[in-house]
Amino acid sequence: MAISTGTAVINEPALRIEGLRMVYNPGLFQRSKLAVDGLDLEVPKGSIYGFLGQNGAGKTTSIKILVGLQAPTAGRAWIFGSDIRDSACRKRVGFMPENPYFYEYLTAWETLEFYGRLSGMSGPQRRRRGDYLLERFGLGETRNVPMRDFSKGMRQRLGLAQAIMHEPPLVILDEPMSGLDPLGRRDIRNEILALRDAGCTVFFSSHVLPDVADICDRVCIIHQGRKVAEGRLNKLLGQRVLEVELSASGVPPEGLPEAAKLARRAWHDGELYRMLLDDDEKARKAKQLIEASGGELRSLVPHYESLEEYFVRVTRDGEIANLGGRTEPIGESTPQPGGKEAKA
Amino acid sequence: MNVWAIAVNTFREAVRDKILYLLVVFGILLIVVSRAIGWISYGGEHKIMTDLGLFAIWLFVALISIFIGTQMIYKEIDKRTLYTILSKPIDRWEFVLGKYLGLLLTTAMILVLLSSVFLAYLYLMGAPLTGAIFQALLLTLLEMVVVTALAIFFSSASTPVLSAVFTFMLFGMGQLTKWIVDLGAQVQGQAPWAKLFLKLFYYLMPNLHNFNVRQEAVQAAGRGEGWAVSADQTFSIAVYAFSYAAAVLLAAVLIFRRRNF
Repeated sequence: MAISTGTAVINEPALRIEGLRMVYNPGLFQRSKLAVDGLDLEVPKGSIYGFLGQNGAGKTTSIKILVGLQAPTAGRAWIFGSDIRDSACRKRVGFMPENPYFYEYLTAWETLEFYGRLSGMSGPQRRRRGDYLLERFGLGETRNVPMRDFSKGMRQRLGLAQAIMHEPPLVILDEPMSGLDPLGRRDIRNEILALRDAGCTVFFSSHVLPDVADICDRVCIIHQGRKVAEGRLNKLLGQRVLEVELSASGVPPEGLPEAAKLARRAWHDGELYRMLLDDDEKARKAKQLIEASGGELRSLVPHYESLEEYFVRVTRDGEIANLGGRTEPIGESTPQPGGKEAKA
Repeated sequence: MNVWAIAVNTFREAVRDKILYLLVVFGILLIVVSRAIGWISYGGEHKIMTDLGLFAIWLFVALISIFIGTQMIYKEIDKRTLYTILSKPIDRWEFVLGKYLGLLLTTAMILVLLSSVFLAYLYLMGAPLTGAIFQALLLTLLEMVVVTALAIFFSSASTPVLSAVFTFMLFGMGQLTKWIVDLGAQVQGQAPWAKLFLKLFYYLMPNLHNFNVRQEAVQAAGRGEGWAVSADQTFSIAVYAFSYAAAVLLAAVLIFRRRNF
């Protein structure tokens, strides 16, 4: 049962969204545009949550609503049990917009100091935390450099620093890896993992799917403003076996042709016999044939759908209607670090 | 606390912009040039210097505050600096009020800067320097309390170009409010609806004419008097300035609160 603490509820998820809807009405003689269509979502505490969708799917609009930049047409959302309409709830949120912009004439230190002040931090807290973050993000040398002289990567790092300046338990990042080089992306990825390890919940949007697959515990995919899939990454991707790879040794010549007939492809790599089979059933039969002929099974590895393949399928290949917003229940088991489980 | 943080930040950002100093230097040049106009006039050199100097300060401070103010909130939206600010635990009224106070602080600083140059110049030239001149400068600052509020109001609702056009229009019409009263007196009895319309118009327009005591200040300084207008009148003008600015800012907040970014 949830315990009330006056302003929030302890057992509430980090973020809860119910029936969020956003329709833009540009004005007379222009068609209104549905950006978000009845979005429901729950982000468990302590997880890294990927919010995925194509350009224009409604990710940024949803995020802007959550951080108070836009008012929804309908629906509600809560951050640790506090209604997002109450500006005080944003004390518990840090936000980094896509390509963060700062005041050009302020230095890096002044920028962090300013955001710390807006977040209600005291002078000593701001100094201590600001110094720490500038060092942590490799900006210590540039603390007195005006923002107009910062590179994109440096701005992105400072963007993340301002988001976590007041040590919020929930961090919302809009396309944090957008436009960064591989090193910059790695830095941001590592920071997100470090935040989760420190007990923070991270909710971020992206369309850089390999990055999401690397670090997310759960994902939500939205398409044309509607949720089309949601759940733990390993569950979503573990539901569809694309093929099974079998390897065996010591197979006598008479035992191989029968098993090979079942395979999509079979070959000998100089050491082992290898086969690619369509599904588990065929793999099981091939295994029986190989073992019956005296061969030894060395490995049987199912290949699951990648996040990219899954994303394309649910957003483009017409499975949306069939899925009907497939979701997987939250929270019975603890998410695996890095969001991955052994698949073989 | 949040209002002050935004105000200080706005001030800091504005005073680091070099364009501002270019305008200030131009204003100082105009004050100095007023001496040359004094030379070519027959008699009353000090009066002309004082008159032109007060006029130049008023014009430049108004131009700068309209120029900066009408871009202020739009620039925050356009450059998206607003995203990281409004996502912090602050209310939108705090943002609007903070931007306004920051702009007012910048305007006051420019006024003090130009006034210091002007007063030092008058002193060096041996012109009479009395409290009346300080009073004229104070009323210029009070006028800017209203003008900056108008600039922020339009900036919170429109683009810089439109905001500047509207603010200049109101600034200009605000100087002519006395004529509206005179016009109202002339149509009395002939067209009651026209009188009502003019009355309404008069009350809606910023009554900036009341802030202009420059002529009175020059006359009073010439006579060695310390006041251009009475203390009571100055107080009433101050109350009007803050009340009008508060109403305009309230309207700005109401518009700004409804906006999606």
